[in-house]
Amino acid sequence: MAIIELKNVNFRYGSGTPFEKQALHDISLSIEPGDFLGIIGHTGSGKSTLIRHFNGLLRPDSGQVLVNGDDIWTASKDIRSIRFQIGLVFQYPETQIFEDTVAQDIAYGPRNMGLDEKEVELRVHEALQFVGLNDSYLERNPFRLSGGELRRVAIAGVIAMRPQVLILDEPTAGLDPEGRNKILNELEQFRRESGTAIVLVSHSMEDIAEHVRNVLVLDHGKIALDGTTSAVFSQAEKLVQLGLDIPQITKVLLGLKAKGYAVDTGALTLDQAERALLRLFEKERR
Amino acid sequence: MTRDITIGQFLPGHSIMHRLDPRTKIVLTFFFIIQVFISRSAASLCFLIVLLGFLIASSQVPAGKVLKGVRPMIPVIVFTALLNIFYVSGEPVFTFFFLQITKQGLFTGFTLLVRLTALIAGCSLITYTTSLNALAAGLEQLLAPLRRIHFPVSELSMTISITLRFLPTLAEEFDRIIDAQKARGAEFNSGNPIKKIKSYFPVLLPLFMSAFRRAFELTNAIECRCYQGGKGRTKMNVLKLAPRDFCAIAFFVITFFLTIAFNYYFPAPY
Repeated sequence: MAIIELKNVNFRYGSGTPFEKQALHDISLSIEPGDFLGIIGHTGSGKSTLIRHFNGLLRPDSGQVLVNGDDIWTASKDIRSIRFQIGLVFQYPETQIFEDTVAQDIAYGPRNMGLDEKEVELRVHEALQFVGLNDSYLERNPFRLSGGELRRVAIAGVIAMRPQVLILDEPTAGLDPEGRNKILNELEQFRRESGTAIVLVSHSMEDIAEHVRNVLVLDHGKIALDGTTSAVFSQAEKLVQLGLDIPQITKVLLGLKAKGYAVDTGALTLDQAERALLRLFEKERR
Repeated sequence: MTRDITIGQFLPGHSIMHRLDPRTKIVLTFFFIIQVFISRSAASLCFLIVLLGFLIASSQVPAGKVLKGVRPMIPVIVFTALLNIFYVSGEPVFTFFFLQITKQGLFTGFTLLVRLTALIAGCSLITYTTSLNALAAGLEQLLAPLRRIHFPVSELSMTISITLRFLPTLAEEFDRIIDAQKARGAEFNSGNPIKKIKSYFPVLLPLFMSAFRRAFELTNAIECRCYQGGKGRTKMNVLKLAPRDFCAIAFFVITFFLTIAFNYYFPAPY
């Protein structure tokens, strides 16, 4: 059964005012256990609005949001329990840190769940490991950490709730290339080890291409494209039309093809492209 | 909820009120406030309502929008009016144990309701029709004579315009942090007041942190541009009073005296 399922969700901001704006248009999607989904779309396409529906921060004007099969707005359950199952990491999450030690801040979520101190401690330790920081960080002052470390602590604060889905809005924004790769690799590893589904919202086509299995393209609050990563990126023309980019390396291959080389343009990452090019050389030599 | 804040919401336009000099508008807003407070009789209150209607019309701001700006203040207005209804002594019309409503109280309460609403609606017009930059420039010019007594005029106007500029930014940030903490299971509507105050701690602390961070960034940016306060600075757009400004001032002087006349010839019943 899908963890999150959206059925014909519509949402508009500022209902009944001159600033009214339809932000989501008839969105239906589902997120299954173990998924790794990427959501892309240019600024204002509704990405952030969409993910706020996943954990009940926004209520749709019409349509349903189901978590584990139950409508979160009609089943009279506590909406907070939904938020513990659906972990949401916002853009620049380090701005939410407020405690004076790393351990205390990561423990905020688990404590809100009402877990006992022993369990909280265990989860803090576990979450910190997942984001690649060791226990020496536990008692440190978060405001003395580097930007990348702080970002990881913030992500750990959500991981510590052991959600079924982890949703991250631009987790690599503003980090250097090394920091980006580290965080993305850690997330990938976290997904494999814990079985948590991950939804990655990103501007960076490289990040999406390299890590994600399925992609959803949003445009003006509608789902414009939807499918496996290679299927979506093979529609380069459509993506460009939507104001989006394709991975640099895919662009190179498409350029080669346009020049008459019989190269396979399905490659999305550097490794895949290398193989495609080597195959091309082999053919040329013969 | 913070999105309801309408202070500093400038609606660009070309109405007569938009084109008035910001200094005129600031001074006339003070005039209007005084006028609201001297309107005591039924006749002068009616005149005040007519005047407000005329001002809204001449600003071309939708009346609904102006009234919506009053909405967040309704609890305060109603509370003040009620307090007056119960506290003013005089001829009783209704008695319930120690509570007593008097004719005088009803009248005062009702007039306060009208006056406070008119006050807020009238004052909001200046923010709807004047950009923050113009407002700050106008204020600086108005206060300029105080420089003689070493009053830091340009610093003050800079502070005011920065404050107004960052209010919406902070409101947005506030909403964002609330969402982030809610996603970590924070609960903000528990009934217990002490718990409620405590629950806002994880929101206020990050908000202050980011406000300070912004302030440091801004001071750096200002220093990098060698800002030295107002000394010897000239303006690109120099404010100059136009004939319409004098007309507006004359209009207000007339309405001011009319209000006094209404008060005098049709005095309040109590």
